Amino acid sequence: MDGTGLTPGRDRHAALTNPWVLLTVGLVAIAAAYPSWTDPYSLSVVRDALIFALLALSLDYLWGKAGILSFGHAAFFGIGAYSMAIFGPKIDSANAALVGLLAGTGIAGAVALVIGYFLIFGGVRGAYLTIVTLAISLVAQHIAIGWSEVTGGDSGLIGAPPPGIEIFGFSYVVLDPVHQYYLILAVTAISLLAIWLACRGHYGRVLAAIQDNELRARTLGYNTSLHLLIVFVVSAMLAALAGGMYDITSGYVAPDLIGLFMSTEIIVWVAVGGRGTLIGPIIGAFVVIRLQQEVSSVSYKLWPMFIGAFFVAMVFLFPNGLLPLLRRIPRIVAARLLRARKTE
Amino acid sequence: METFVPLVLNALTLISILMIVGLGLAIIFGLMNVINLAHGEFVTIGAFTLSFVQAMGGNYWMALLLAPFVGAAVGYALERLIVQHLYTRPMATILATWGVSLMIQQTLQIVFGSGPQQASGPIEGSVEFLGASYPAYRLLLITFAAGIIAAIVFVFRKTRFGLDLRAVIQDRDMAEAQGINTHRIYTIAFCGGAGIAAVAGVLIAPLTKVIALMGANYLAPSFFVVIVGGAGSIAGVAAGSAVVGGLETLLNYQVPVTVSQALVLIAAVIIVRFKPHGLIPA
Repeated sequence: MDGTGLTPGRDRHAALTNPWVLLTVGLVAIAAAYPSWTDPYSLSVVRDALIFALLALSLDYLWGKAGILSFGHAAFFGIGAYSMAIFGPKIDSANAALVGLLAGTGIAGAVALVIGYFLIFGGVRGAYLTIVTLAISLVAQHIAIGWSEVTGGDSGLIGAPPPGIEIFGFSYVVLDPVHQYYLILAVTAISLLAIWLACRGHYGRVLAAIQDNELRARTLGYNTSLHLLIVFVVSAMLAALAGGMYDITSGYVAPDLIGLFMSTEIIVWVAVGGRGTLIGPIIGAFVVIRLQQEVSSVSYKLWPMFIGAFFVAMVFLFPNGLLPLLRRIPRIVAARLLRARKTE
Repeated sequence: METFVPLVLNALTLISILMIVGLGLAIIFGLMNVINLAHGEFVTIGAFTLSFVQAMGGNYWMALLLAPFVGAAVGYALERLIVQHLYTRPMATILATWGVSLMIQQTLQIVFGSGPQQASGPIEGSVEFLGASYPAYRLLLITFAAGIIAAIVFVFRKTRFGLDLRAVIQDRDMAEAQGINTHRIYTIAFCGGAGIAAVAGVLIAPLTKVIALMGANYLAPSFFVVIVGGAGSIAGVAAGSAVVGGLETLLNYQVPVTVSQALVLIAAVIIVRFKPHGLIPA
């Protein structure tokens, strides 16, 4: 698989000199040092972008690694965020945020398990599966707006517990925004590391085989439906985790976090970064969110237009994403120079 | 009887709209294997045609005649400029048509504003039907829809074009070997599907809120219709519409709209588990 750049069986130290790994380590280092020179507002912007990066990562695991394009990830993100806003404030303990996270990831996982079981084991694949995920987003948004006694309707919900832990009388609550930032950074980095480690060996090869030719993978004895279902459920839970974190740090949820347009934006983050590359979608989320701020400051109506044009341009001009395209530029330039030198 | 007749007629209203929108979708999918996420926007375009014609001083019937041509023209542009180049890349088609869908929504919002548009039906008031009072326009809608569906069945079964169409759905290569111009069939079917969806937009406009984002409300249910019923056959679309539309109407009497939509989603998902190729496979 292009982009991960890692092939099992190669030199064990190859990972340490791989440009993508070096890039990732460098980015995490910059993100870790960021609070030392910035103001609280910029910190909160980067913190939100990190949460959305985690969301992009969750979709990349599903779309990039298992080949299932989902228009439903905002729904799972929203389940996580709303669960935190609904259950969190009801609990009077430092563990409130943990309970909220457990509820959110649990509900999202259960929904994904039920829907995923019926569809994936029913043999629904590809475009059909995508359509059903689209319907999940629509239904989730209708519930978020319509069930106003619980979800606050159009105005959403305000209030979330701070992240904390209470165990055997020991209690610690993360209140400092900088510490919360580090918590988010840690969760995102650990998720990235976990998926990367899982997918670089045998398991990643199995997923790649399923994506390539599922029938052949099944003939080789792999329970492909079970593999896809597990990826679907884990990915949904990861999206819900991001949703819960979002509510913890920003303190509110609104229906636009759960809708179809939000799902579309997640797809854009992954597509810009290059699906299947894991670090790509994370960079993609940062780049696109920055761009969105610029475009929306001109006119907020322009942004959806921009996204629409991006999709059309993407399938024709750069089907593998923008960042992989950038990565090829030095190689193309080098080849040109070499040829020019030869003809001299 | 007083509650039963309106219930059946409400269900028929929804079923006929779903069936018209779903037919275009199913033919395009069954024929070209193309998932057109911009299909809902053709419904929107139809509804906006009605608003625009009425705002310009025209009447309902003019809009009903004009809408299929507007829809087909936009469909033609979409097929020629984008979809045609992506026949072998289903995922790319999904992303590209979704992009077009967003662009159409935003263009409509910029041109017409984001508030609801005015649209009214040709007749008002209620009539007595089987001992129950029922809005006359809805009866007209059901009649129209039945007529359109009958026309589609006729074209599909009895004309040379329908024969070619069925041949291409069954075996594209063999149809080509027989001298059928498949690209021409694709283009006509795509424009036809778009035009029919625009007619559905005119029919539904007086009963709903005409806004630029209304297409999504028809896109997902009509895809359910195709998935539940089975792509590529009229009987499949009819069965799918009956299940999805009937279930939603029935549930709307018992539970809030949000819950009924969630339940329809769950029902569709369960049906797909046991009938992966739809209730009536092609």
